[in-house]
Amino acid sequence: MSGLQPGVWYAIAAEHDLPKDHVYRTMLGGHELAAWRSTDGAVHVWEDRCPHRGVRFSLGEVVGDELRCQYHAWRFGKTGACTFIPAQPDLKVPRTIHAAVWPVALSAGLVWSGIEPTGAPPELPPGAVLRAIPIARAAASVAHALVKEPLSGLALVLQPLDETATIVRGIALDDDLVRADHALLALRRRLEQAA
Amino acid sequence: MILYDAHHLAPCYAVRLLAGCLGVTLELEPLDVYPGHANQTEAFLALNPLGTLPVLVDGPCIITDWLEALAHLALTHDRAWFPAEHAALIGWLGMARDLGASAGAARLIDTFGAPGDAAAARAQANALLDEVERRLWFSERGFSERGFGERIGQDWLIEGPHPSIADLACFVFIAPCEDGGLSLRDRPALRRWCDRVRFLPGFVSMSGVFPPMANTGR
Amino acid sequence: MTPVDPILWNDWHPVAARCMLDPARAHETMLLGVPLVVTINADGTIAVQRVDHAAPHQDERYGLVWVCLGTPTREILPIPEADEPDRPIVVVGSVGVRASGPRVIENFLDLGHLGYVHARYLGDDPHTRVLPYTVEPLPEGGIIATQCKMFQPQASPAATEGFMVDYIYKVERPLATCLYKANPVQRDRFDIIFLIVQPVTEETSIAHPLLLCLPDGTTPAALRAFQQTIFMQDKPILENQVPKRLPLADGAELPIAADKSSVAYRRWLSAIGLTWGVIRADEKARAA
Repeated sequence: MSGLQPGVWYAIAAEHDLPKDHVYRTMLGGHELAAWRSTDGAVHVWEDRCPHRGVRFSLGEVVGDELRCQYHAWRFGKTGACTFIPAQPDLKVPRTIHAAVWPVALSAGLVWSGIEPTGAPPELPPGAVLRAIPIARAAASVAHALVKEPLSGLALVLQPLDETATIVRGIALDDDLVRADHALLALRRRLEQAA
Repeated sequence: MILYDAHHLAPCYAVRLLAGCLGVTLELEPLDVYPGHANQTEAFLALNPLGTLPVLVDGPCIITDWLEALAHLALTHDRAWFPAEHAALIGWLGMARDLGASAGAARLIDTFGAPGDAAAARAQANALLDEVERRLWFSERGFSERGFGERIGQDWLIEGPHPSIADLACFVFIAPCEDGGLSLRDRPALRRWCDRVRFLPGFVSMSGVFPPMANTGR
Repeated sequence: MTPVDPILWNDWHPVAARCMLDPARAHETMLLGVPLVVTINADGTIAVQRVDHAAPHQDERYGLVWVCLGTPTREILPIPEADEPDRPIVVVGSVGVRASGPRVIENFLDLGHLGYVHARYLGDDPHTRVLPYTVEPLPEGGIIATQCKMFQPQASPAATEGFMVDYIYKVERPLATCLYKANPVQRDRFDIIFLIVQPVTEETSIAHPLLLCLPDGTTPAALRAFQQTIFMQDKPILENQVPKRLPLADGAELPIAADKSSVAYRRWLSAIGLTWGVIRADEKARAA
């Protein structure tokens, strides 16, 4: 659990990563996160862990406006509250049973979250949302490499997965997603092949 | 049609999965491969000297290669699953074999104690998974294999509205790859594609690949 | 070097099944972090060695090879039913899983998932309600859950229709559990399934299921296939539980009434002082 500054918005997904009826899975600063969209289009970001026995929500399924855990099919509504427990179908589920909800903001075609983020997410210039590229290096190393050799035509943000890996996200200002992809893959090769 | 089968072997699953999607009934002859080694008996080796599963028997036809079995079922029941006009079909079927030798092997080593170097298998698999992820992502964005231009987003490995045997052949190794210590966490396009395969009408599961949950009205 | 949990260090654990061993290839495995090599020669003699060639305490029972790395405080888990002449032992085949041993045992005890993870085999929507059952301590240590009932569409390969099945679960050692299931044909006798977990590392295990079922025409191959199918359905669930080690603190996870066995199992592990594969109540949770 490091490298995650409170008060900061981090990009954790692209809006196109969240189609209907799908649970998206990622990590931020060592915290595992699950994200999904309810039928009204709203995005929900939760700790990727069912409070019952700790099974990842991302193994589960979205059905309408509920996420069902794959283990015992407990159902969780948009607010994160558990709404139904099949093993005890007559139980009025106590309010204490809920997902751990993270803040969400949508901006620049990306989904943002963080620990008590303040204000709005960083503004990005218009363009096409890139394919996110994971790099097996700490965010500081990736940032340093981008300062040393900036990639032209790209507005980039970093998502620290944990201490050893980072996802690079952002926008291609000229909409050339293929060129951007090549540039990021080249960056990845340079960083991962170095010591 | 008879399928000599072992439930947990991905190539067997591929044939059962296609049969499910086609609505075709297979008579299953299960073999106790692990730990029974039933695929190494004289009787089975007479049927398939390579000792591999599955073997599909359709009348006089004995098909000992699982990709050929997929092609045979598609060609005899629904050619939409066999887009012969796309050279990419061959490339993807080759990718499926490579996934079997890497991701599939890692799964068998870690789960059933099969012989092999799991770390090497995983290293190979990671490179392949990254490539499938890249191509699927661009497919979803509407980029065709041959040129780039805005098109409608594609759901499947091969351009067109219909899944093909290439999707199923790759799916049976990609969907359970975490059994072998790989991860789909940073491969969101693969995860979306796996869901699309799981929601196909007639989808059947293999233990460890979750079918859509019941009572979901899909 | 931190000493390994003495409870497990000085107990017997399975490390291989005889039927898996091959004279042409030594079987490499690991127990409590210690690499082991298991060999079988042409005349069927099995030997277990540590990497430094020392031989730990070893024995064979129920078709499994057992090892104690320390000094055994008791004998290998007794299975009295193994001596019944009309009850063959079927070794299912070992399955590796990236989960801690206690997580694997706890999953075996769980009734609420049978209708979901094992849908159409061991339970089914909408019969997924878990009826109240009883859990008590065993006099020699461990727990026993009785009066467990579940509607099962196909409780075993021989069953031709669904019916309410009576279960009894026992946990007699931290990593050994068994289930007594009413036999579908001889309704007054039980089929028995043992799950004995080999602790490889604190976060990885090998499950060794054993079946002691009354013969009913089902072949051993079919029995194995059924049990393997069940375990392979549990595998991704187990591998996606966070944290990996089983949290023992009350309130770390949220049990409901249906989880009585799991609660009792965790409390028993706390009471005996197990440290392997668990996060003790007084320990700050390490990252998963």
